[in-house]
Amino acid sequence: MFMSMQIKQVGKFNLYYKGTWNDKLFTKCMGVVGSRRITNYGHQVVEKIVPQLVFDGWTIVSGFMYGVDIAAHKTCLECGGKTIAVLGWGINYQNDSHDQKLLDQIVDSDGLVLSLWNDQPGTNWTFPARNKVVAEISHEIIVVEAAIKSGALLTATMVRNLKKPIWAIPGPITSSVSAGTNKLLADGLAKPWLGKSPSSPLTSSANSLQTSILNILQNESLDSSEISRKLQIPINQISAELSVMILTGALSEKNGKYYQP
Amino acid sequence: MLVKIKSVANIGLETLPIEVEVDVASQGFPGFNIVGLASKAVEEARERVKTAIVNSGLDFPGKKITVNLAPADIPKDGAAYDLPIAIGILAASEQIPFMTMNDNRMTMNAIYYGELSLDGSLRATKGVLLVGIFAQKEHVSQIYVPIESANEASVIEDIQVFPVRNLKELVDHLHQIESITPIKHLEVSELVEEVEFETDIFEVAGQELAKRALTIAAAGGHNLLMWGPPGTGKTMLAKTMPSILPPLSPAEALEVTRIYSVAGLLSTGQSLIRRRPYRNPHHGVSPAGIIGGGSNPTPGEVSLAHLGVLFLDEMPEFPRSVLESLRQPMEDGEVSIVRASAHVSYPASFTLLAAVNPCPCGYLGHPRKECKCTDKQIRKYRSRISGPILDRIDLHVHVPVIEVEKLSTQHVSTSPTSKEIRSQVIAARKIQIDRFAETHLPAGRQVYTNSQMGNKLVKKYCQLSPETEGLLRLAIEKFDLSARAYFRLIKISRTIADLASEINILPSHMAEAIQYRQVS
Repeated sequence: MFMSMQIKQVGKFNLYYKGTWNDKLFTKCMGVVGSRRITNYGHQVVEKIVPQLVFDGWTIVSGFMYGVDIAAHKTCLECGGKTIAVLGWGINYQNDSHDQKLLDQIVDSDGLVLSLWNDQPGTNWTFPARNKVVAEISHEIIVVEAAIKSGALLTATMVRNLKKPIWAIPGPITSSVSAGTNKLLADGLAKPWLGKSPSSPLTSSANSLQTSILNILQNESLDSSEISRKLQIPINQISAELSVMILTGALSEKNGKYYQP
Repeated sequence: MLVKIKSVANIGLETLPIEVEVDVASQGFPGFNIVGLASKAVEEARERVKTAIVNSGLDFPGKKITVNLAPADIPKDGAAYDLPIAIGILAASEQIPFMTMNDNRMTMNAIYYGELSLDGSLRATKGVLLVGIFAQKEHVSQIYVPIESANEASVIEDIQVFPVRNLKELVDHLHQIESITPIKHLEVSELVEEVEFETDIFEVAGQELAKRALTIAAAGGHNLLMWGPPGTGKTMLAKTMPSILPPLSPAEALEVTRIYSVAGLLSTGQSLIRRRPYRNPHHGVSPAGIIGGGSNPTPGEVSLAHLGVLFLDEMPEFPRSVLESLRQPMEDGEVSIVRASAHVSYPASFTLLAAVNPCPCGYLGHPRKECKCTDKQIRKYRSRISGPILDRIDLHVHVPVIEVEKLSTQHVSTSPTSKEIRSQVIAARKIQIDRFAETHLPAGRQVYTNSQMGNKLVKKYCQLSPETEGLLRLAIEKFDLSARAYFRLIKISRTIADLASEINILPSHMAEAIQYRQVS
């Protein structure tokens, strides 16, 4: 299929791109990189940190390789964020259908797909070149899982040379794919990224409905329907209030029954 | 003499014209042959047609008779070709007038469709509504169909539908001895009216939370999973779902009836289906039963539940293959069935209601009974419903054991009736229809409900205030919810806001939505 070439200059790189170019995408970019050999822990980490980053308005930048990179792109799309994928091969190089689907989704959700080449296949020298682009675009970078000798660590070195902040996710000391990230931390080259807890918009002072709920739960545990019947208050109000009370820690819930902790 | 009679073939919901060519040769050895990719049922038309003609007191020509069903490359199935073949034979042997072109009652511009009985009477035949729709589209002014099925086509404008009782009557009609009166045309809008439901939601004692979840599901078209021990009213609650759904619009009624017409599930004399379908397949169902199948594919449960409710009781008991086959229809709102002879698409846009027990024996967490399941059994039981399926279920609600003594009679009498809830649902749907009036999904389907929103539409139509978003983020943190859950909660809160006729999603709407999160 013939496609007109779209090229833009970013820093010192000339990049082919797909998607709608929007300079705003590049104002706050977080690189999320890591091993191709992603473990369960890596998946959990990505699912925890990426949504938080998206909430805080970051564009997620990664290298579109299976493992941590793809997990980061996917999670970003799932929580409605915008992501930039920098390919380690040519922009018009034939992808397999699964990858192509994800690339299409990235473009559809106003993200960008970038590459240094037109139809270059991925090979040993293209990936480090791609990493340079990731380092260039990102303002900060988080290394999720990386072995002692890995591309993600190379990217981290490039970022360091550009004097941008590097974060690493601490991992189990028994895991070989966390050895690299742990070493970054141990050597003081990266700061640990521990995610962050959202500040609570809820006040802990109880309103009158909360007080009456607490009162009837003094001696027994009840489910929401029972509370609604006892207080003669519609279930929608009761359930909204119960959610808030669970979130502030005023109540606990098990198997649908609410009780005072 | 050679005559050509019009008939049709229904392949899925598509109707194709078929010409039944009948030649009664003046020379040759007597015989009766049907050619043109006829199935066994069509082959057997020979015996039915021959006997029916003789038993109607007419003459079956002792000559060489050849019937060709053209075009020859479309597979023909079913007994509906009996009538056109019989009429063709009678016309070709000059027992009924045929070539008088200027008489509009003649065979030229009419479609014949129906199965013959050996005594010459016509039997109910499936697919008559589709014949009517086809005739209207192709400007065929008359259709002759079995009397028992004729009402199906009564809602079609611009055509005359002749209800035929038996072959003799039809012959008299064509001879203009005694005419058959076309059936009365019925307006679709007259037929779509209030219907009574057997189960009213008011009859279910307690379970306010589950009732509220059903209301939200009905208002936003969300799929709903109810979990709880046996005997707590999950099945009964599901049964009340059709009674709180908005009535079928005329266009929807036609769409549903078309599917039932093809499946041959309309009862005798029925015209339009007026209530939303409620399908409740047993867990022994096969993938072909749920999706549709057969060599000439017939609609499955997902299509029969189109625009209505598909209830899977004891969902984990369904075979994995059946549950996985639900993924495509839940995503696309239609199913494609491919067989050697045909490729058919049926609409399948339904609301899924699922009921599950907390464990194989059902009594996990029961206040009085003891659960006998091992941890391993429970894990296995829960893993039967795969993640992708659970991801498509927006609402999860616990249906607990109710202790009867805790239900005061006074409160039962104040719980809302189906009619009251239904009017709330209708109002909420109206807001959604206005919202999505200009919105189409990539496949060109119209968006009607909040549940159909993709991530992009969620961003467009569900702006969250910082306070609401803060609450959502807190919940995601506290309950360790996935990124997908984030969108599910926003969609539900949108529906809750619509039920309250609020333009903005308020923190209280989000807080209520959090109650219906997936519990692992």
